[in-house]
Amino acid sequence: MTPEVVLRLTGVVKSFPGVRALDGVGLEVRAGEVHCLLGQNGAGKSTLIKVLSGVHRPDAGEIVWQGEQVSFTSPHAALKAGIATIYQELDLIDELSVAENLAIGQEPRRLGFVRRGVMRRAAQRVLSQLGHPEIPVGAEVGVLPAAAKQIVSMGRALSRRAKLMIMDEPTAVLAHGEVQNLFRVIRDLTADGIAVIYISHRLEEIREIGDRVTVLRDGRTSAVNLDAKTTPTRELVRRMTGRSIEYVFPERHAAPHTEPLLAVEGLGRQGEFSDVSLSVHKGEIVGIAGLVGSGRSELLETVYGARRPDTGRVLVDGRPLHPADVGAAVRAGLGMAPEERKRQALLMGEPVYRNITLASLRRFATVGFTRAGAERAAATRIADDLELRPRDVHRPVRTLSGGNQQKVVVGRWLLGGTRLLLLDEPTRGVDVGARAELYQMIRRLADSDVGVLLVSSEVPEVLGLSDRVLVMREGRLIHQAPAEELDEDTVLDLVMAGSLLEGSPT
Amino acid sequence: MTASTRATTAEPEAVREPDRRVVSLDSVKRTATLAAVLLALLVVGAVTRPDIFLDPAKLWSNELTVLSLASAIGVITIGMTFVMIGGGIDLSVGALLALASVWCTTVATQSFGVTGVIFAALAVGTGAGIVNGLLISYGRLVPFIATLAMMVAARGLAQKISGSQTQINRISFVNELASGKILGIPYIVVIFAVVVVLGWILLNRTTFGRRTVAIGGNAEAARLAGINVKRHTLALYALSGLCCGIAALIVVAQTTSGSNTNGDLYELNAIAAAIIGGTALTGGRGTIVGSLFGVLIFSQIANLFTVNNLPTETQRIVNGAIIVCAVLVQQLQMGRFRLPAFAWTRRGRTPAT
Amino acid sequence: MSTSRRRLLLGGSALGAGVLLAGCTSNETKGNDGNDQTKVSGGNNAAPGKTVTIGFTAPAADHGWIAAITNNAKAQAGKYSDVKLLAVDPGKDAPAQIAAIQSLIQQKPDAIVMLPYDGAQLTAVARQATDAGIPVINLDREFADPAAAFTLIKGDNYGMGVSAGHYIGRKLRGKSDAVIAEIAGIDTLQLTKDRSKGFADTLATYGLRVANRVAAQFTVDSGQAVTANLLQAAPKIDAIWNHDDDQGVGVLAAIRQAGRKEFFMVGGAGSLDAMEHIKAGDSPLEATVTYPPTMASSAISLARLTAQGKGMEDLVELQVPKLIVLQSETVTKENVDRYRPLGFKS
Repeated sequence: MTPEVVLRLTGVVKSFPGVRALDGVGLEVRAGEVHCLLGQNGAGKSTLIKVLSGVHRPDAGEIVWQGEQVSFTSPHAALKAGIATIYQELDLIDELSVAENLAIGQEPRRLGFVRRGVMRRAAQRVLSQLGHPEIPVGAEVGVLPAAAKQIVSMGRALSRRAKLMIMDEPTAVLAHGEVQNLFRVIRDLTADGIAVIYISHRLEEIREIGDRVTVLRDGRTSAVNLDAKTTPTRELVRRMTGRSIEYVFPERHAAPHTEPLLAVEGLGRQGEFSDVSLSVHKGEIVGIAGLVGSGRSELLETVYGARRPDTGRVLVDGRPLHPADVGAAVRAGLGMAPEERKRQALLMGEPVYRNITLASLRRFATVGFTRAGAERAAATRIADDLELRPRDVHRPVRTLSGGNQQKVVVGRWLLGGTRLLLLDEPTRGVDVGARAELYQMIRRLADSDVGVLLVSSEVPEVLGLSDRVLVMREGRLIHQAPAEELDEDTVLDLVMAGSLLEGSPT
Repeated sequence: MTASTRATTAEPEAVREPDRRVVSLDSVKRTATLAAVLLALLVVGAVTRPDIFLDPAKLWSNELTVLSLASAIGVITIGMTFVMIGGGIDLSVGALLALASVWCTTVATQSFGVTGVIFAALAVGTGAGIVNGLLISYGRLVPFIATLAMMVAARGLAQKISGSQTQINRISFVNELASGKILGIPYIVVIFAVVVVLGWILLNRTTFGRRTVAIGGNAEAARLAGINVKRHTLALYALSGLCCGIAALIVVAQTTSGSNTNGDLYELNAIAAAIIGGTALTGGRGTIVGSLFGVLIFSQIANLFTVNNLPTETQRIVNGAIIVCAVLVQQLQMGRFRLPAFAWTRRGRTPAT
Repeated sequence: MSTSRRRLLLGGSALGAGVLLAGCTSNETKGNDGNDQTKVSGGNNAAPGKTVTIGFTAPAADHGWIAAITNNAKAQAGKYSDVKLLAVDPGKDAPAQIAAIQSLIQQKPDAIVMLPYDGAQLTAVARQATDAGIPVINLDREFADPAAAFTLIKGDNYGMGVSAGHYIGRKLRGKSDAVIAEIAGIDTLQLTKDRSKGFADTLATYGLRVANRVAAQFTVDSGQAVTANLLQAAPKIDAIWNHDDDQGVGVLAAIRQAGRKEFFMVGGAGSLDAMEHIKAGDSPLEATVTYPPTMASSAISLARLTAQGKGMEDLVELQVPKLIVLQSETVTKENVDRYRPLGFKS
């Protein structure tokens, strides 16, 4: 017996000025299934979610929810109808307790007073149902780890009797073990007949948890209801990109340079990482593999001067860098593409060219007066070099896809004449096609003698791109080797367990 | 930074000149709206007092009055615009104006003559602005709190220095700024115009202006791009203080005196003018031209009320309504033409409130 | 300056130029055979008596007139060897002043001179003091309940309008099309309404009316701003009455900047600056109608007499009057030299 179809979209269109974000999208979700939504950045996934959750109203097309045609006027209306969305940046209130967050807006009340006992018991029940009775219902949400917050967020959807949960990149904030835990919760939910729309960039997750896949490309449905387990990867990629590509890592140098550029000596920060020593040579790409929370982002930011080290020092060209001084680091030739592009790197409302020239404004100024022509010409050339799409450097950065935004950040440092680039998760939120371009670009940089220190959660990326790999675990560097001498399993073992497991090849 | 020696790819020389679109569609639209509002106010004047507004000579004289009265608050609003674009707020401007006006008109200061008076006004304003900046960037106080404290303290200091009495300014050069004219235009209006032009250049044509926008738009991104956010923030508040000093001179010239009651509620008027001119309270966005229009609109409204012999209470209600309308229009434009997704998500994401 | 004021007061030539007696008509001392119910001055109230403590509170000074009130009170108290002045910080508003007065009551002064932020709001605490046996001298802003104060001494706001109206009315008599402008103070205050009403009522007796009326904020810059606009609104003016000489500094500045000379102007309150302009004749300001802050000095004297159980020597009664309303006098070029010592620094 085929389960009933709870949600059916046909011919949904949504336009913004200058962009047709959705151009006739269809979607069919059955009760109790995990329906995966796949597509490159800019393919329309986010817009589709917002249409479903009542944030946007479609210009045309039909949404049939549980047999009735609907048009949600607000997120509240969608929630009342049983569609809950769990966002990447969780929409919980950090200052309230778990129980209060779960009950918010529908607190059990008597004579206007909140019945705290009832509220706590209800919270306990929901969390147990999700298999996480250990989450303290009285704790402030702000102190919980990301994974627990996600569970609370799902609990909130559950306590509102949601029939459909939309999860936007739920694993982006989770460590490996927590992902498995999340999958278990999802399976429990679907067993109760709740439908899940699941969005992720990680194909292996889709294979593991998904039932069916709908692929979006350029605001249209390019494939519907593919089998999540059996459809070949190449087929999925082809549907997403319209062409067939694979992860292609550029070739390495025959022999990397040996001139040292960056030396880190015994760097440490209380509670984050300790006693880290490493070096990066000219033209060398050094990759750091490690889990979220292993201290790798903090390490990168400390090297860059954005955090003050407790111990140790950073040397560039053998000269120590003034600690906790980004300006000094930039003057010494360092540049960083941080993990959270939107929050840490980009002026989203400003045009592309102003983002590119942000770190080297002085070069385009005479006694403080900017020379607009020179500035835009330089930015345009960088944009051409990086094959920025669209090429128009006057567009606000926020209109660009994730991959192109990343190009803008890297372009900023290219323009600044940076000699050592620190890359934190350079391909997060970047689609497959743009990834390959970014890899090429990073290698080209190294070929022009720029040193690169790279951090990534994706082991294949670290292995494929780097000349040398460092493994970081719980704030310490525990292993280093040329990339050729390592394989994915080995690195994963080191990352997860801290040592090579028995029977692993070395 | 001598980056040119190690530039790997780019040199400033133009490969080809990209199309020049300096002014975004948005700001054109906003400026046009504001100009239309100002024009509408003049039409109201023409209907209600045709004897003034349809007589070129009287209209000219009346509008010079409007501009004169807009000068002090206008100069302050320019400083406020920079602070607000930089993501801050300066509540102390009215009090700093009072303090500078009192300091520069004490008997002791006046004994140093005209340079003493001018120097005192500018130095006191800038100095207090620097204190604001130090508290905010290095003391890590929230701008609202730091400048609120300065507002209270500076007003108190002004009362102490003056003994709460009006100090008559006897330096005729300064008084002459308000009564004297060049090409028929009062000097204070010329000062205002110069400040506006310099402000425009500073914001749109210099690295300082660009950094201001960057810091206000995303302070963390600016810091990680190597911009010295603290030093720049300090400079912004010093700039606002300097504007207060200039405005104090204008007020001293206009009233021929310094008083601790000067500049009452100027902070709110300046913020309101900047906001209706399109400056975002959240920082990162705003224009000098917009702020100029904001100031002129308020000043023209005050003028219309007086020439029509209407009570001041009504004027306050109208001013309040205008602020609300301006912000509503701003949000409407943002909702439709800017940030299509993000702005709505944030609002929509709190379910069941 | 203070010396002459004191001499004026104690010499018995009355407070300023006249004293209006009202209320408290003391009981008839009927049929006290042989006892003279009349009296011709004399006495030596100035001579030191029993040492008394006088509490004093007035709103925090933010402009000249209020500053003069406090300064006068302190100076006057300093003249008496038998007065100890207990000036308490009034805080920033009525509730703070109430708290200050309550702590003052604890210290049991012999009398309290009180210029309240708001007469109605301070009535209850004045009652407390009175009930505690401390006579309260109510200065200028009237309590809601007359019983809350032993004596009220105040200026005459309506009378200011009357005086200004008479001065202007006499000069413009018969010119029924005369353009008269009025620059009021803070429009929401009752005292502003009283002044305006007195002005309008008096002008009406001359067949005149106010053509243009604007309101400033008692501050110099607001005075300048509204006047600049007013002068645009009215291309020809015959007379201006400005309620307040503090804001008058700005008013005169605006007039000078506009280069207007065709009218004359009357001020209000009686600041030193205004009097100097009247004397010099260098501006349209021809006269000002007083609302003298010297009332604070008088209030201290009244408090001292009350605390010492004395009356005013010129009067027959044994206690000070219940209500004293000061004349609003008209200061012109002719009499300015007499008034100059009473002018306050704005």
